[in-house]
Amino acid sequence: MREPDFNDLVTRLVQSGIAPRHAHRTVSEIRDHYDDLVDAAVNDGASSREARRQAAVELGGIDDLVSAMSARRELKAWPYRYPRTALVVYPLACLAVLPAVPVNAGIANAPLLARWGASLVAAGLFTAALLLVLQLSILFG
Amino acid sequence: MAKSNPPFMSGVPELLLLRLLDNREMYGYELVRSIKEVTGEAISLGEGVIYPVLHSLERNGSLKSRRKPVGGRTRVYYSLTKQGRGRLQDLQDDWRRIQNGIETALESPGHA
Repeated sequence: MREPDFNDLVTRLVQSGIAPRHAHRTVSEIRDHYDDLVDAAVNDGASSREARRQAAVELGGIDDLVSAMSARRELKAWPYRYPRTALVVYPLACLAVLPAVPVNAGIANAPLLARWGASLVAAGLFTAALLLVLQLSILFG
Repeated sequence: MAKSNPPFMSGVPELLLLRLLDNREMYGYELVRSIKEVTGEAISLGEGVIYPVLHSLERNGSLKSRRKPVGGRTRVYYSLTKQGRGRLQDLQDDWRRIQNGIETALESPGHA
């Protein structure tokens, strides 16, 4: 049996609806558990390779771990626990956040926005000055 | 490979974990080893599947956890809360009631 792919386990847990904090913590604990199993097998006289093989067998398959976690509704992210509420809350939250998007974009690009505003003011002043000169030249010309 | 536990074992892992943690705080690997030891290997929990049970018990307030650095690793130690002691008492009472019922039934097969 191959060494478990712990990164893949995190991905599969999150994909199955487990809350990311539970997924990361579980995998971190399982990784330590695997290391403990390897250490125990090495202490019993197994070679490093054999110890890893034994540890992987004792730990169980990734599918079993994902099934055991998925069977516990309380460990799932809230949209998976309350899908109907999520269907209402998510669109409303998006609508609420929508007006803030341009404001946030403006704050994030404040220097660019300031230069753009200054250019607009400068262009307006230049046009006004030009019109004033034309008017004066008509009056006194 | 260890013999798998029959389906009627549902709820037993929870009872065993709470019972062991009633004595002292432990981490996952230690708990699996202890369960094998105290049950004479009659009950063997999947090494990895103990964590969903522990997390569920923590989430419902029966357990609390703390991280503790030990030998270069950060272990998550679990301990029983007051609510967990109540839950343990309830599970023990349920288990004894079921055990008595089954024993009575087994001792008088003609009336079962």
